[in-house]
Amino acid sequence: MTDVLLPSETATNADRLVSSTRPGRGQLRMAAAVSAVLLLAFVSTVPFAGIPLPGTEAFLPAYAAAVMVSDLVTAALLVSMFVAGGSLGLLLLSICYLFAGVTAIPWALTFPGVFAPSGLLGAGLQTTAYIAAIRRLAFPLFVIAYALFKDRCVAGGHARSVVWSVALTTAAVIALTSLIIASDNAMPKLMLDERSVTSLWSYVSEAGTLAHILAIIVLWRRFRSTLDLWLLIVLGTMLLEFVMLTYISGGRLSLGWWAGRVYGLAAATLVMLILLLETSVLHSRLIRSVSIEKRARDARLLTMEALSASIAHEVNQPISSMVTNANACIRWLDRESPELERARSTLGRIVADGHRVGAIIEGIRAMFREERGPRESVDINRLIQDAVRDLGLEARLNGVDISLTLDPALPRVNANVIQLRQVIDNLVANAIEAMDGKGECVVRISTAGHPDEVTVLVEDTGIGIPEDVDRLFDPFVTTKMGGLGMGLMICRSIVEAHGGQLSVHNNVPKGAVFRFSLPTYHLSDSRDGESVR
Amino acid sequence: MTSDGSMVFIVDDDPSVRDSLQNLLCSVDQAVEGFASPTEFLEAERPDVPSCLVLDVRLPGQSGLEFHRQLTRSGIHLPIVFITGHGDVPMSVAAMKAGAIEFLTKPFREQDLLDAVQKGVELDRRRRAELATLKDILDRYETLTQREKEILTFVTAGRINKQVAADLDVSEITVKTHRAQIMRKMKAASLPDLVRMADRIAADIP
Repeated sequence: MTDVLLPSETATNADRLVSSTRPGRGQLRMAAAVSAVLLLAFVSTVPFAGIPLPGTEAFLPAYAAAVMVSDLVTAALLVSMFVAGGSLGLLLLSICYLFAGVTAIPWALTFPGVFAPSGLLGAGLQTTAYIAAIRRLAFPLFVIAYALFKDRCVAGGHARSVVWSVALTTAAVIALTSLIIASDNAMPKLMLDERSVTSLWSYVSEAGTLAHILAIIVLWRRFRSTLDLWLLIVLGTMLLEFVMLTYISGGRLSLGWWAGRVYGLAAATLVMLILLLETSVLHSRLIRSVSIEKRARDARLLTMEALSASIAHEVNQPISSMVTNANACIRWLDRESPELERARSTLGRIVADGHRVGAIIEGIRAMFREERGPRESVDINRLIQDAVRDLGLEARLNGVDISLTLDPALPRVNANVIQLRQVIDNLVANAIEAMDGKGECVVRISTAGHPDEVTVLVEDTGIGIPEDVDRLFDPFVTTKMGGLGMGLMICRSIVEAHGGQLSVHNNVPKGAVFRFSLPTYHLSDSRDGESVR
Repeated sequence: MTSDGSMVFIVDDDPSVRDSLQNLLCSVDQAVEGFASPTEFLEAERPDVPSCLVLDVRLPGQSGLEFHRQLTRSGIHLPIVFITGHGDVPMSVAAMKAGAIEFLTKPFREQDLLDAVQKGVELDRRRRAELATLKDILDRYETLTQREKEILTFVTAGRINKQVAADLDVSEITVKTHRAQIMRKMKAASLPDLVRMADRIAADIP
């Protein structure tokens, strides 16, 4: 969409995700308030935790459904963040919520006395307890994994990763449930009867408590974002729930047991709401920035039109008088007695007008040249990495992978950083936009150093280029909807102003390869001398 | 095109374009005079010969189209050939509607300009001839007496001598004498000729 990307406009939207922004003062205050309320609720239920509440099995399906919906929605929101940001941690966290949401189903179905006296699915006495134990242990472990891998990026298609994750998680839940049901009698007993636990459960409790504390510590040490803040609160709440269930409550379906459930649900719902809120805010911000971008592009288009009209007028005047004078000259010479003196003076005027056109064009060039900044020693690999980082979101949203093969021994070049960055941004953005979503969508960027020049290749597997390759670099030639047709022209003129070359050819089996080279020696042509301060 | 006493005026603020046009018209022996602005053109003393105006659309101060309207308002009926650096369709339609001869985009084919200028001069020549004839007829009309003018009105309205005599309460002979006098003074070859002249006088004197 964008033909000319200026570095200042390329701030990525990934920077504004809830998974990467630091929590503001308001969010911290809200988190503190929520923690206080939850803690207060916990303390106030402690004296009554032991009261048994028989017959409350009826509420269990509703509770399970609420947990499942809340967890699945959270998982979906996390997936959307993963797609935008590509962090492995986020993928793991969304798997965590997905796992929690899906396991809520067998947990409720096998709960004794809810759907059937001993639970559905042919469950035994131990089934529900084992599922609960796995759910509880899995959550902190996944959070630890999230904390450890949140800076790691997933290579390859994000959509594919998500599909695989969902499929594997569901399969794992089904397999685990079947295994637990099948080996109900063979496993060590967690439940004495339908209400009370054996002494073995205390090991599960201790392991779970430990895991939660560990998760809190790890996350605290790597604390960075708003998402981390709310995860900490959830972990804290679940720790309380654990304590309540194991040490205070009077077994299943007691008041303490239910209170623990409600904390857990409240915390899970909170995270979901925060994510929803942040996602909608981000969405509205994106819409705004897209419309701002569009306005800016329209304004650029208008300026360009006005500029080209005035240049056309300036150049057209002398050309018009040259044509008219040349015609007059022919007529002077064609007369019966040719008027040589008039013809000569007419030719003199044509010469003068030719010089006038030259001066006008030189003036225009000088006007643009003033905006050429100073040159410095530039590391092209670094420039490419920056560009790819900034264009990463656009690539991911388009389902495009970017692979880099950078020559570690690439010599530095003497160039204008901003202009060179513009060239790279433009070529990479074009490559991303060229993808038609069919087959492999990869942009390969590679650099290579030679004795006297460096070359950069930007290969895509998109729609390729039309036959009249050379016209691609002419102004106002575009293959994109709403394109200005200035991008490649500007790229070529920048590369040539640096003494290099920019060319294009078709890729095999499909797509295009843009190649530009820059000399590594110091440029000392006269134009350069003028622009260096 | 030869020097036939006609004159082409050029109004263009770009001296090189103006000079080249003058040069081109000179090379076909067309008398020509250039002006840098409409004001300069209006202030100059212009010869009273068949002429045509070559006008740049883009002028300092006011546009060529505005200047055309101003000329028409102040009773200067010059055929106009517009030239422009970047003409668009609406602009050329507006110019042609206002009565321009031609609308040429720079750089134009020289034959197009010469043809347009020729056409303009020819139009002006015809308009001037027309004006001269009308003036002649009016001069002759003024030599008629009040009675003769009266009878001319009746006769050209299609009434025969007898009816005119009855209307004016004079003898038919008297009417005949007046009529012969009118034909002579107006230099009319026939009655239809006289009717045509009367029509033109009626068009000029409402």
